[in-house]
Amino acid sequence: MYVYLYDNFLRQKKFASTVKAMETRLTDYGIAGKIIRLQNFSDTKMIVDEELSKGATTIVVVGNDETIGHVLSRAATCDILFGFLPVGPGNDIAKVLGIPVGEDACDVLSRRRKLRLDAGWMNNRYFISRLHIPPSDIMIEYDEKFEVSSDKSKLELVVCNLQPFTWHRKNKKDWVVHPQDGKLEAFVLPIIKKGLFGRVKTEDPSVFPFEEMIVSSKKPFVVEADGKRSKETRVKIRLAKSRVEMVVGKDRRF
Amino acid sequence: MFKKPSSQIALEQNNEETEEEQMPVEQASSDKIETVVGPSVTVEGDFASEGDIVVKGTVSGNVKTSQLLTVEEGAKIFANVKAGSAIVAGAIKGNVKVAETLELTSSAQVGGDIDCKTLIVAGGALLRGKITMKGFDVDQFKPEKKISLGRPKTKKKASKTE
Repeated sequence: MYVYLYDNFLRQKKFASTVKAMETRLTDYGIAGKIIRLQNFSDTKMIVDEELSKGATTIVVVGNDETIGHVLSRAATCDILFGFLPVGPGNDIAKVLGIPVGEDACDVLSRRRKLRLDAGWMNNRYFISRLHIPPSDIMIEYDEKFEVSSDKSKLELVVCNLQPFTWHRKNKKDWVVHPQDGKLEAFVLPIIKKGLFGRVKTEDPSVFPFEEMIVSSKKPFVVEADGKRSKETRVKIRLAKSRVEMVVGKDRRF
Repeated sequence: MFKKPSSQIALEQNNEETEEEQMPVEQASSDKIETVVGPSVTVEGDFASEGDIVVKGTVSGNVKTSQLLTVEEGAKIFANVKAGSAIVAGAIKGNVKVAETLELTSSAQVGGDIDCKTLIVAGGALLRGKITMKGFDVDQFKPEKKISLGRPKTKKKASKTE
C-alpha cells in the first residue's frame, strides 16, 4: 500500500494541475494510495509509524527539498521504503536522485529501483542533502584525531551528503566535488573579509572527508540541516551508513 | 538557499552520465576525493587520508596517505610525513618517507631524513638530513683481490727450505 505525504504548499492553485496530472498517472499505474497533507508542525515519524502499523509498504513524499528534509529528518529511523515526487521549485535533491520534477517522477516511482542511501546524523536528527553553518567562531574536530582552526577568526562550514559542492571561482572554472558514498565531505571556508551589506569574502575551501566530526563554540551558532535552522553550541555530525531505503532514478548522480 | 557572493552550493549538469548509467553504485561512488588544507587553515593532530592530500596551510602532526601528497609553496608541516608519492614546494620539519617518487621543487625546504625510491631535486631546494633510497646495491659489491707484483710468499718459503 502506498501512502502519499503532500506538502502544505501544494494547496496553491499553481500546483493544482501538476498534482492532478500526477494523481491520474499514479492511478493508471495502479499505485495510487492514501493522501496525507503535512502541516508545518506535523510529526512525520509518528505519521509514518502509524501508517506502517496499518500496512503501508511505501511512503511517498510529494513536495520539494524542504519537504523531503522535513520528513526524513525524523522518519529515517523507520524501516520502510521511501519514494519522492518532486513538485515546483527548490528541487536539487531530486536531480541527485535522478528523479524528474513533475508527473514524469511517477514513472520512476512505478519502476521501484530501490537503493539504500547514507544519511548524515546531527545531534538528534538526520539530514539527507547538506548541513550548513554560516560564518561563526567554531572549532572543528575530525574523527577524534585532528582539530582544524583558522588564522582568520570565523569559519563557514558546509557538510555534503548527497548534494555535490560547487565552488564558484572568479575567472576560473567552477570546482565541483561529487560526494562519495561511505563518507561525508566537509568544506571549511575561512572568512577573509566582510564587505558592504553583510557580504563576506571567503578563501579557497579546505576539504576533509570524514565519518565523525564535532563542531563546538563558546557562543551559540546557527546550524542549517536540509533547510531546517537551529542554534547549537556543540554539534556532533556523523555518517549513518545505508540508513534510508529510497526509490531512485537511473540518472542518479552517485 | 545559502546564496552568498563567494560561496555557493549548486548542482552541476553532468552531460556524461550515460557512461555511469550502467555502473554499479559502489564502483561509481569510489571516486577519490582530495583532502585539501586551505592556506589560512591550521590542522593539529595526526592527519591521515585514503586519497590525495593537498596542503596549502599548516599541519602540526603526522601526515599519512597511500596516495599523492602535495605540499604547496608557503605550506608548513611540522611532523613526520608518510606518502605514496609526494611533490613538495613548501616546508617540512620532520622525516619524510615516500614509497615511490619524491619531488622537491626550487622553493622546497626539508629538515629531516628522507626515505624514498626516486628523488627529484630542483635547483634551489634546501635539504638537511640523511637520504636513504631503495634499490641501493653497492653494499653487495665485494672488493677485488689485490694483485701483488712480487712472487707469492709460499714459493719463497719453499725455496728457503730447499
